[in-house]
Amino acid sequence: MKSSLSRRDFLKAAGMLPLGIGLVPLLQRDGPLQQAADGRRNVLIIVFDAFSAYHLSFHGYGRQTTPNLTRLIDRAIVYHNHYAAGNFTSPGTASLLTGTLSWTHRAFQLNGTVRESFVHKTIFQAFSRYHRIAYSHNPLVNTLFKQFKADIDDYVPQNRLFLTADPLVHNVFGADEDIADVGWTRAIKKEQEGYAYSLFLSDLYKEYIRSKVKGIGVQFPRGIPSVRGDNYFLLEDAIDWLKTEIAQLPQPYLGYIHLMPPHAPCSTHEDFFRTFAGDGFQVPEKPQNVFSGKLTEPELERQRIAYDEYVLYLDREFARLFEYLETSGVLENTWVVLTSDHGELFERGIRGHIAPLLYQPVLRVPLLIFEPGRKSRLDVHAATSAIDLLPTLLHVTGEPPAAWTEGSLLPPFAEGVPDPERDVYAVHAKANDPEAALTHATAMLARGRHKLMYFFGYPELGQGVERVELYDLWADPEELHDLYPAEQVLGRELLAFLKGKLRDVNQPYL
Amino acid sequence: MCALPLHAWTLVLAFRDLSWLTDRTNAWDAVGVLCYGLLFALVESVLLFIVTALLGLIVPRRWEVDRRIALLGMFVLVLSLWAMLAQLFFLASAHVPDAIIAFLVRNGHPARLVYGTLLLIVAATFLLPAWVAMRSARGLQFVEALIERLGLLAMFYLIFDAAALVIVVIRNL
Repeated sequence: MKSSLSRRDFLKAAGMLPLGIGLVPLLQRDGPLQQAADGRRNVLIIVFDAFSAYHLSFHGYGRQTTPNLTRLIDRAIVYHNHYAAGNFTSPGTASLLTGTLSWTHRAFQLNGTVRESFVHKTIFQAFSRYHRIAYSHNPLVNTLFKQFKADIDDYVPQNRLFLTADPLVHNVFGADEDIADVGWTRAIKKEQEGYAYSLFLSDLYKEYIRSKVKGIGVQFPRGIPSVRGDNYFLLEDAIDWLKTEIAQLPQPYLGYIHLMPPHAPCSTHEDFFRTFAGDGFQVPEKPQNVFSGKLTEPELERQRIAYDEYVLYLDREFARLFEYLETSGVLENTWVVLTSDHGELFERGIRGHIAPLLYQPVLRVPLLIFEPGRKSRLDVHAATSAIDLLPTLLHVTGEPPAAWTEGSLLPPFAEGVPDPERDVYAVHAKANDPEAALTHATAMLARGRHKLMYFFGYPELGQGVERVELYDLWADPEELHDLYPAEQVLGRELLAFLKGKLRDVNQPYL
Repeated sequence: MCALPLHAWTLVLAFRDLSWLTDRTNAWDAVGVLCYGLLFALVESVLLFIVTALLGLIVPRRWEVDRRIALLGMFVLVLSLWAMLAQLFFLASAHVPDAIIAFLVRNGHPARLVYGTLLLIVAATFLLPAWVAMRSARGLQFVEALIERLGLLAMFYLIFDAAALVIVVIRNL
C-alpha cells in the first residue's frame, strides 16, 4: 500500500481545503452551540411586559391567544399561580432582578430606582462568573439597567432595536452610546413631550421618521409597535437580533431580555388583526370600587380584543425563537425562562396597570421554565413569586446563593412538598416617598386559597380611612365577592399579619 | 446670531433635566447629556447659518450689506422665537381656552380661521421688524446694536461648545 501522497492527491486534498474551512463553523452549529468548558449551563430570561396570565389560553382563558405556547409548554415547568411583586414595570422588574420585594429594594415609584445598597445585589452581580447581557425596549427597565451597569458585561442600549435607531449615535459615539443616545433623544426627539433642545432639527427629524416607517405601517393596522411616541420597533427584529447574539455570546451567559409586547399600545400584526372581533367572548362584569375607572364595558372589550390579538403576535414570535433554540441545540445547555414583570387589567372600568389595585389579572403572570433536556410538562399549582426566580436560577446552575434575596426555591427544585400556606406579597406604592415609611400604598397578601388586599393612606378613601378586601381564590377566581365583611375572623387575622409585616419593613424609615 | 437662540434654548432645557438625570445616573453622565446637547446645538447652528446665508442670496443687492445682515438677523431671531413659543406651549402644558374652541366650532370653518389668523400674526412679526430696519435709520441702528450685543453673548456659547466637545471626546476615548 502506498503510504505517501502523490502530487495529484495533494492537489485534490488542497482543493477541498476552502470547503472544509467553510464547513467547520456550520457543523459546529448543528450540535449545541458553544458550551462552557466547565459544563455550566446558560440562563436566558425572556420577559414580556404587562403579560397577564389571565389572558393566556393555556391558563384557561376563553380565547385561543397562545396556540404556540400551548404546544411548547409540553416540555416546560408551568407555574399556574405565579405572582409579580408589583403592578407596574419599575417595582415588578426590580423585584425580578434583585429577588426582593419592593418595600425592600424601594423602586416602587414610576421610573424608580433601587436603594443604593441594592445596586450590587442583583441577578447580574449574583451571576458574576457568567457573561451577562441585558436588553429592554422599556425605558423604565433601562433606568434600572443603568443603575446595575457595572455588573452587566453587555448592556445593549434600548434604541439598538428601534426602527428609528440612529446609526449616528451608534457609529460616532459608540464608546458612550448610552449617554449619547439620551443626549440625542433630548435634543432631537420631541414626539413624546412636544419639546426638545433643538428648535428646528427636531421638526425635520419628525418628518424624516414618519417617512422612514411609512412602508411598515400597512402591516400594523393599529399602528406600528412603539415605545413612548416615535420609538417604533418590530418584535421580529428583536427575535432575529437575539438569535444572532445567542450564537456569538461567550459561554456561559446570563441573558435578560425584556421586550415590550403586549404592553400598550397594542399594535398587533395584520395577520392577527380582528381575529377576535365579534367572537361573542365575554368576561364577567366585576364590581366597582372607589378606585374604579370610567371606561364602559364595550370600551374595555374593544381594548381587551386589541391586547389579546397582540398576545397572538408575541406567541408567534416566541415560537420562532423557541424553534431556533431547539434546532441550534441551545435548549440542551440553557435554562430558558419566560415570564413577565406584571399583568394588565381590563375590568372595573380600568384598562392598564398603574391604578392602586392588585387584582389577579394585574399580578398573576406566566412563568415557564424550560429546563435543559426536559421532554415532559410539569404543572406547579403552588403559589410562587417573582422574587423566587433569582434564588432558583442560582440553585439550578450551581452558583453561590445570594444572601440578600427574600424568595424561596421554586418547586420542584426545593426539597419536600411546597408549603400550601406560603405567604406571597405584592405592593403598590407609586405615590409613596421611597425614603419614607409606607403610609400611602396597597399591600397584598396571598395565603393558601385566600387573598387579602389592604389599601391605606389614599385621599380617595377619606382621612385615616382604610379599605380591606378578602377573596377566596379557589371558589371565586374572578374576585367578584369580597368576603371581608362576612369573614371577619379570617380577615382580621390576615390583616393583622400583613400590618405586622408592614411595621417590620417600615422600621428603618421611621 | 444663529448660535444664540439655539444654544440658549438647549441650555435652559438641559439644566431643567440636570437634576432628574443626576438622580437616575450620576453627575458625570448628566453633564455628558448636556455636552451632547450643546454639540448638537452647534451643528444645528452651522446648518442654520448655511440656510440663512443661502437666503441672503435672494435679498436684493441694492440694499447695503448692513441692512441685509440686519434683515437676516431679525429673520433668524423671529423664527427662533416662534419655534420656542411652539415648544413652550407643551412645556407649560398650555391649553386653548374653551371659549376660543367654542367660537371656532361655531364658526363653521375652524381650520381656515386658525391657519388664516396664525398666518397673519406670523407674517406681521416677520414683516414689521423688517420694515422698521429697512425704512428707518433709528430702527436699523437699534437692530444692529441688538445683533452686536447678542453676537457677543453668542461667543460665550461657543466657549461652552468647545468645553462640551472636549468632554464628549474624553467620554468616547
